[in-house]
Amino acid sequence: MLRVAGLTRRFGAQLALDDVTFEVVPGRMTGFVGANGAGKTTAMRIILGVLAASAGEVRWNDELLTQEVRRDFGYMPEERGLYPKMKIRDQLVFFGRLHGLASDRAAERTDKLLERLGLAERATDVLEALSLGNQQRVQIAAALVHEPIALVLDEPFSGLDPLAVDAMVDLLREEVTSEVPVLFSSHQLDLVERLCDDLVVLSRGTVVAAGSVADLAAGPTTTYRLVVDGDAGWLRDVRGIKVRDVAGGTALFDVEDGAAEQQILQQAISRGQVLEFAPERVALSDVFREATR
Amino acid sequence: MNDRTLDRPWMLIAQREVSTKLRDKTFLGSTAVMLLIVLVAVIIPAILAGRGGADKIAVIDDLGAQVVQQASTTKGGDGYEVTRAADRPAAEQLVTDGDVKAALLPGTDGYVVLGKDRVDSGIEGALREAASSVGMEQNAAKAGLTPTELRAGTKVELELLKPGPLPDLVSQFVNIGLALVFYMTALGFGMMIAQSVVQEKESRVVEILAAAVPIRSLLWGKVLGSTVLALSQIVVISAASLIGLLITDQADILEVVAPVAGWFVVFFVLGFVALAGLWAVAGSLATRQEDLGSTTLPGQMILMIPFFFSVFAGSSAKTVASFVPIASSMAMPGRMLTEHVPLWQPLAAIVILLAATVLIVRLGARLYERTLLQTGRRLGYREAIALKAG
Repeated sequence: MLRVAGLTRRFGAQLALDDVTFEVVPGRMTGFVGANGAGKTTAMRIILGVLAASAGEVRWNDELLTQEVRRDFGYMPEERGLYPKMKIRDQLVFFGRLHGLASDRAAERTDKLLERLGLAERATDVLEALSLGNQQRVQIAAALVHEPIALVLDEPFSGLDPLAVDAMVDLLREEVTSEVPVLFSSHQLDLVERLCDDLVVLSRGTVVAAGSVADLAAGPTTTYRLVVDGDAGWLRDVRGIKVRDVAGGTALFDVEDGAAEQQILQQAISRGQVLEFAPERVALSDVFREATR
Repeated sequence: MNDRTLDRPWMLIAQREVSTKLRDKTFLGSTAVMLLIVLVAVIIPAILAGRGGADKIAVIDDLGAQVVQQASTTKGGDGYEVTRAADRPAAEQLVTDGDVKAALLPGTDGYVVLGKDRVDSGIEGALREAASSVGMEQNAAKAGLTPTELRAGTKVELELLKPGPLPDLVSQFVNIGLALVFYMTALGFGMMIAQSVVQEKESRVVEILAAAVPIRSLLWGKVLGSTVLALSQIVVISAASLIGLLITDQADILEVVAPVAGWFVVFFVLGFVALAGLWAVAGSLATRQEDLGSTTLPGQMILMIPFFFSVFAGSSAKTVASFVPIASSMAMPGRMLTEHVPLWQPLAAIVILLAATVLIVRLGARLYERTLLQTGRRLGYREAIALKAG
């Protein structure tokens, strides 16, 4: 398990991270969201040892994270970068070995990933000869080539079209085993909602929300939405609920007594046609907006 | 989980540096051009020195032919070639047409050397000596002496108390050559190191590298890789000039240069490594290729000033320079060629250079670590020194 505790980082007088604590659990994808400048990249760079923390620590399985362990991590930085004039196969083998793989194993992994990404025929092309989308694939491969024990991906899907995103997600699901914690930051909340198991929301350098996506966004709700054929004004007289809003046949109400929504549904059916009846789930973007306000 | 075989990431960095360079057409091209220049520099003087074939000398009788043969044997090498002419007018015609360098004709009391507008002093001297030698042998035979008896007790041998350095012109040439080799190699490979660092910054790959291995390993790998490349380039070029010297019969120069070659390598490696640390910092201070002009300026100065000093300064100034770090890499090997330097001097210079190299490399490593991940803007040296770690 990857855990950051009390992480603080100052740039001069500016406080970029303020006592940030969260966990990334093995086998779960943890989404790291927050507005621009919230401190996501700073936190990720500290985890990878590219930046020093002013205070706080990064722990791996309850021990301080060391350079040796960190070498087995996979990292995709926000500012993408590989060697533009190096052949992609040579490049991936190099990164595999840099992370400690034996050369034959690095070659084996590279070939597998290139095959998987549909880049096997471009193996001897230099990186800069590839399209941007393909360069991004190679970048992900560089983070995965050494079978990392943990993955930190900074905006891994930015700039990809929806099909490419799906391909990447499939690859991640295949490559990432149940022992590997994955932390990835993203602006694309719908994507985070779809992919992530856990969520850490950062705002101005502090954690404002953390937990499973189910708990944060799609947890039990007491708000319901009803759309009927006629006028829904009668709801105002029903006991045990609190009407938020009624406009013509559409109403939004909170249930105060348990099971009151079932009675309301029956009543609505007896009064006429019911077009829609559903619990009103909170979208992740609302959680995000709420948390970072 | 993973197979951990590689505990020396700097080896891998060095390997990449070398293999990338060996595929770089610009690098290969410039090495080829340098090779060509060296070969031409070695071979052309030999050709100009007249080793293009034997000079022809016309004669009209057997005695003349014998004298020319004798001169040819004394001179060695290609010597002179005898051209027979029927009579004096025919010989004059050959000289006038330039078919022969000169003609050796019978004179009233000995011989006449006939030339067109002038006669090469070497030819004249050789013929004069051969004629007197042949004549004396004949006179001696008439008096009943053998040639050996005639020459008894006249042999002159040369002994030198301080046998030595090369003739002045050649030693000056080799001196400048050695300094130039260091200067060009250190500058060329220095710029290469700085460029390779800034390329990694520009392409942002440095962040992945820094996450995978300690930043110092990156530095050591680069320094090691470029030192290996620089040394091999020098070895290749030395081999080429060696072959050039051998095929042009100038091997005698080697006897003087060879003992200094070992010293040169030691001075070269130490000086090169010290500078390599600085060049890497020049790269890490920059954020784009364009910044290199200003960040590499100190490195260029550190090379250029001692270079001109060690080539053009007077001998006492040169002696001082041969102890100053970096400058010593250029001045000391040259001094050892042209004068007799006591053994303690190069040893002392190496100790001083070694100490300086350790200091410079340690400072360089510190600056490199602090500036490598600063991708915002170009930094100055003072700023970098003031930066705190992390």
